[in-house]
Amino acid sequence: MIGLWVYRRSGRNTLLHPLLIGTPLIFIAMITLQLDFESYYEGNGLLRWLLGPATVALAIPLAQQMHQVPALFKPLLVTLFLGGFFAALSALLLGKLVALDQQVLLSLAAKSVTTPIALGLTQKLGGLTSLITVAVLLTGIIGVLLAPMVFRMSKIDDDRWQGFILGVTAHAIGTAKAFEISPRCGAFSTLGMGLNGIWTSVFLPLSVSFFLP
Amino acid sequence: MIKLAIGLLGLCIFQGLGELVVRLLAIDLPGALLGMILLLITLVVRPALRDWLEGTSGHLITNLSLLFMPASVGVFFLNRDILLQFPAIVVVLIGSTGLAMAFMAWVVLRSGVKRD
Repeated sequence: MIGLWVYRRSGRNTLLHPLLIGTPLIFIAMITLQLDFESYYEGNGLLRWLLGPATVALAIPLAQQMHQVPALFKPLLVTLFLGGFFAALSALLLGKLVALDQQVLLSLAAKSVTTPIALGLTQKLGGLTSLITVAVLLTGIIGVLLAPMVFRMSKIDDDRWQGFILGVTAHAIGTAKAFEISPRCGAFSTLGMGLNGIWTSVFLPLSVSFFLP
Repeated sequence: MIKLAIGLLGLCIFQGLGELVVRLLAIDLPGALLGMILLLITLVVRPALRDWLEGTSGHLITNLSLLFMPASVGVFFLNRDILLQFPAIVVVLIGSTGLAMAFMAWVVLRSGVKRD
């Protein structure tokens, strides 16, 4: 079916943010070919299935950075716990402030976590996977854009901490930016991303029922 | 090529193990995530294994955005009510992300970590 051809084609972009460009393109293609979302989604089964092993694969870069950890162990943990918690909580509270739907709130809570984990987590929470994907993407881009200002104003110039903050709040997209700063920055970003993935997965399901009756 | 296949198999094995642990211990975490943790522990204990997995994991991580395509296209098919809230959603994301970064920066400074 032409549908399959579209699926393959749409993936072949080497642009910086393929999701931003590719997604609208696919949408246009779908309208043109009169595809419905169900067929598209089902047809991409293989792609979606790979998300599982991809999550597991994150362990490799993490393992490579482990030796950097012992020196900063306690501050890292404290910053992780507080930061990860705050990232999710602020989304929920701000969302409540502007009166977003319950389900929208549930779909935004995992935004600071890298997508494979965020998807699984959001499903567990009962949120919308299509929304969390966008939220994660936007959060990553926003994080990367705001980071220089935050670092400048707080005068944090240790690239380990810059990396860690980027990783926890802006996950994979933040990590890409972190590697531009320095390998060590990228290393700590990977660490932050991975650890926040674990931490958020742990506290979010437990806290959500507490904050959203 | 064979190495890539073995790598993929290895990742799947760990994912399976993760799912198993989640089932057995009835934890509320994604199976793949636990698989990642198990793999992490294994790699720390046996670094040699990294060699088998590096190729595949590199490919998967590089093409991570591609894997999110199917779900992200869905944003165009969200129902009206949700789409109407989109501007508010963006505002929340900007605010929350910015505040989270600032908060973390504050925690880092307060913990008095020495620069190096």
